[in-house]
Amino acid sequence: MEKNPLILLIDDEPQILRALKTILGAAHYRVISASTGEEGIALAASQSPDVIILDLSLPDMDGIQVCEQIREWSTTPIIILSVRDGEREKVAALDKGADDYLTKPFNIDELLARIRVALRHSAASIGNKETIIKAGRLSIDLARHIVTLDDEELRLTSTEFKLLSYLAAHADRVLTHQGILTHVWGFEESDHIEYLRVYIGQLRKKIEKDPDNPELLITDPGIGYRYKTEG
Amino acid sequence: MNYTRDRSLQLAIGIPGSLAIVGLVTLALKLAGSELQIQLIALLYLLPILVCTVLWGLSVGILAGFLSFLAFNYYFIQPYYTLAVHRTQDLITLIVFFIVAVVVSQLIGQARQAERVAKKRELEAMRMYELISAFAGLTDVELILKTLAEKIVDTFHFDQVEITSAVDQNAGQVKYHFPASSILVEPCDLSMTMFTARSTQGEIKLWFDQNTLSLEETRLLSAFSNQGALAIERAHLFESENVARVLEESDRVKTSLLNSVSHELRSPLAAIKASASSLRSRTVEWESAAREELIATIDEEADALNLLVGNLLDMSRIDAGALKPMLRWNSIQEIIKGVEGKMRNQLHHHPVVYDIPADFPLVPTDYVMMEQVFTNLFSNCIKYAPHETSINVSGRKIEERALITVVNQSPPVPEEQLDFIFTKFHRITAADKITGTGLGLSICKGIIEANKGKIWAENLPDGFAFRISLPLTLEGELPRTPKDEIDGKKPPDTSD
Repeated sequence: MEKNPLILLIDDEPQILRALKTILGAAHYRVISASTGEEGIALAASQSPDVIILDLSLPDMDGIQVCEQIREWSTTPIIILSVRDGEREKVAALDKGADDYLTKPFNIDELLARIRVALRHSAASIGNKETIIKAGRLSIDLARHIVTLDDEELRLTSTEFKLLSYLAAHADRVLTHQGILTHVWGFEESDHIEYLRVYIGQLRKKIEKDPDNPELLITDPGIGYRYKTEG
Repeated sequence: MNYTRDRSLQLAIGIPGSLAIVGLVTLALKLAGSELQIQLIALLYLLPILVCTVLWGLSVGILAGFLSFLAFNYYFIQPYYTLAVHRTQDLITLIVFFIVAVVVSQLIGQARQAERVAKKRELEAMRMYELISAFAGLTDVELILKTLAEKIVDTFHFDQVEITSAVDQNAGQVKYHFPASSILVEPCDLSMTMFTARSTQGEIKLWFDQNTLSLEETRLLSAFSNQGALAIERAHLFESENVARVLEESDRVKTSLLNSVSHELRSPLAAIKASASSLRSRTVEWESAAREELIATIDEEADALNLLVGNLLDMSRIDAGALKPMLRWNSIQEIIKGVEGKMRNQLHHHPVVYDIPADFPLVPTDYVMMEQVFTNLFSNCIKYAPHETSINVSGRKIEERALITVVNQSPPVPEEQLDFIFTKFHRITAADKITGTGLGLSICKGIIEANKGKIWAENLPDGFAFRISLPLTLEGELPRTPKDEIDGKKPPDTSD
């Protein structure tokens, strides 16, 4: 039997560690924890965890730095924890290689969902590149430029297609505004968030049941967007 | 105004002018022939003196008098064509003429001089008045320097002015150069220290191409400099007074905040503690419905605590002036709908009804802060509006601004109280029936103002309205449209 996935928690608050250890243990994960950045980096190297949950405010060093250092030699998915108005911080950490984030206080279901996505993503990244992306109800044929939603073909403009395929290729993971803009419109346009608002709005009209209450293209306030397939 | 230059110009025109006028009069008298009596001729010769004095001033007037005297003597007093005088009668006429000429030109010249000085004074006074009015209400040192520099150049026509304020603990040192494009060539032609009775406030450096300044100019300039120094001093005083006032205010606020907050933090904590300890208790066997209820209480009260902590944090930032919104192009509908989604449980008895056109423009705002605003507004509606009444949210574009209105069925607020509901710790219901720190609306106001907008409340015939007005431009610009649309590469969009 395969071993249960190992999760490394890096957080200096004992209450959070205690609660998360209990909850994650109950969800059949193996959990190890570190209360400083340095200890966390050491454990990440020696224990090769499957997922790292990293609090951005640590006593000894900046969480973004921890993220950066781990990324130098490891591709282990990193989920960061941060407070409500730490948007700049979160974006910086995501740019430095973090895979996802959660805003404290968070809902446990949400955390478990993020861990599942991270585990799946790390497994998927080993596999070869597909030309057909299946994400939830959507199927995107990159080679033939065909998008079907519930087996019905959608008419998309080329920009819409580029945007949607980029989001769907990273299903359930948050993508920053800048990352998306750079990918779809190029680096020099990466500040023009208004493009995204317009195109996401158009896409929602085409793929969402109720464009005003989107279930597929989710806004991450102040951070970016994600294409949601689970939860 | 260049007085020196004026005077030399007067002489340059006046000397040949007086020659010409005296010549003309002589010619006219000569043509008139010998019928004229000598006294009449003397009288007529006074005319060119008057004219010259009036036109070109005292010195030219005296010159004209002298010329007239010579011409009179030479042409009209026997023996003709010499300056000699034989008859006693003629001599007396000539002497009287000379005295009258000098006295008349003196008198007129003095009157003119006095008038000119008065005009100059009036001009100076006007310039001073303009300067002082321009300074009125200015509390920004940079603006004061700018005003002073522009007025100096405007008044004296100097080439360049540079004003440097003295180092101040609040404002630091400010420098202003006018005209901004001109090139500095050190050293300057004149520098003046600006000082008040208390201390030195700065320095004025001047560049000009004339040699010296007249007495009047120097006087006016130093008056300008003094006024400038006073204005700078006033600005500094205003600044430090402001700092003191802010400190005092924040002190007062902190005290009432502590009182209010410790109470507000305790009530959700009490609910959480009660629920959690009940669940742990072994003495009671909970039915599953009751368990659910207790768990829901813990979850909801934790959210309430989180909102409160968020508000406290925002409040301290607003107070410290540290609320720095990340203004990005955002869809207001999306923000509000997101908030509605998160508050679904609390909004159970207050359905939200939308009236926002599909093509409502993007509004430059901070997404997360605006979420806090609508969370607070909705939570206010829930507190005050009766159950099973709707919250109506509408959006309109009015005069290049976005107007967002949130109407609910809460009771009207007395008109004179409408402004105060956005003040910290203000609650219109005196009774403690309704929970809350009285922070929510004041945070809305703080955030909306940081987002360059306005928020106010109105009593409507059919409810109570919060209105938010926000600009539709970001740094003076409208949202850009992606290039591929401009290039026309985008295929026609048929689906919507």
